[in-house]
Amino acid sequence: MFGAVANLQPRQLAAQVLNFALVLSTAFMLWKGLSVFTDSSSPIVVVLSGSMEPAFERGDLLFLWNRASETQVGEVVVYNVRGKDIPIVHRVVRRFGGGGDSPLQLLTKGDNNAADDTELYARGQSYLDRETDVIGSVVGYIPFVGYVTILLSEYPWLKTAMLVFMALTVVLQRE
Amino acid sequence: MSTPRISPHSLPDLKSTTDDALTNYLLSLNFTPIHTKLDTRLALGYTSVIIAAITFAADYKLGWEATKTWTAVAVVAYGALNAALTYWMWAVEKGVVFEGQREGVKISLASSTKKHTPVYYLAVTVTDAAETVSKPVVKRLEAPFTSFFTADGFFVAKPFQQWLAGSVKSIGNVDVKNAVREAVVGAEGDVNGLGVAEADEGESSGVASGKASKRGKRKG
Repeated sequence: MFGAVANLQPRQLAAQVLNFALVLSTAFMLWKGLSVFTDSSSPIVVVLSGSMEPAFERGDLLFLWNRASETQVGEVVVYNVRGKDIPIVHRVVRRFGGGGDSPLQLLTKGDNNAADDTELYARGQSYLDRETDVIGSVVGYIPFVGYVTILLSEYPWLKTAMLVFMALTVVLQRE
Repeated sequence: MSTPRISPHSLPDLKSTTDDALTNYLLSLNFTPIHTKLDTRLALGYTSVIIAAITFAADYKLGWEATKTWTAVAVVAYGALNAALTYWMWAVEKGVVFEGQREGVKISLASSTKKHTPVYYLAVTVTDAAETVSKPVVKRLEAPFTSFFTADGFFVAKPFQQWLAGSVKSIGNVDVKNAVREAVVGAEGDVNGLGVAEADEGESSGVASGKASKRGKRKG
């Protein structure tokens, strides 16, 4: 009988581990699916600074869309500064090129900032390349709910606590 | 067969403990387990998890731009596999707990519970290869959890095994000692066990709740 039980046990363990792995992988693949759909490496971002007030405030959750490549002046875009991996949400104030062969180039500025973003860009860079630098244009937002992620990044132990809690619930609960 | 103590108010705990006991019981009766259903689920599940893991690793190492196309393919594949997995669990497995074979008789047991109802529902499908037309016979059983759990949350194997052996012929044929009907016919065996057997579920649950009220008084 013990042989038979030992024969069964690994399968049940595997099924249990699978439940947990599926939760994680499904969350990840949903995120990736949204990335594919919006053509953006990071389709949902949280505003971390007050540089776009009063349009967006700290903690606002932004939804991005990156399939409209003809970005216009006045649109709010999220871009990555070359060499740094911090996305910045600012408004397009000027655009160059775009027609024909020349790639579309953008100049951005935070609504709440006195000067445009040339200071923020990488050294030697005075404009953004629409194709390579911009992650997407803001098409929707939910105020404040992103504050959770600000808390999580400011208090890293919360992240660990949350992960452990999630893992425990999935592993210990059998349903 | 000692089982750990569980909360008698938690329906998932009651169900999973009973499921485990069911499996152990049938294994002890020398039913050879058939794992094809669970194995298919594991194969579908782990394939999709591996796809997600590879996507994650590629994304981590190469970045979004380089992996865009393959990520799209992976997302579609993952979605398809997950749909297949959901369909498999919902339409094929249907809560199957144990599938096994013994001397040409294939038995498949699927358990379920309903919200806020402390009853163990069991769908028993028996396929007898010996019969000329081996058609699966489905029998639906139900028993309150009180008939094989004590009020303080311990599983009691005897009434559970008697219930199964008494209601499912192909189990009763193997476990004659617990099959009450057979025992009566054979004029031998554990007649005293009758009181807690399938025919008297109400009585046995009365025993359990009697214990509960005693315990309640003691504590109160």
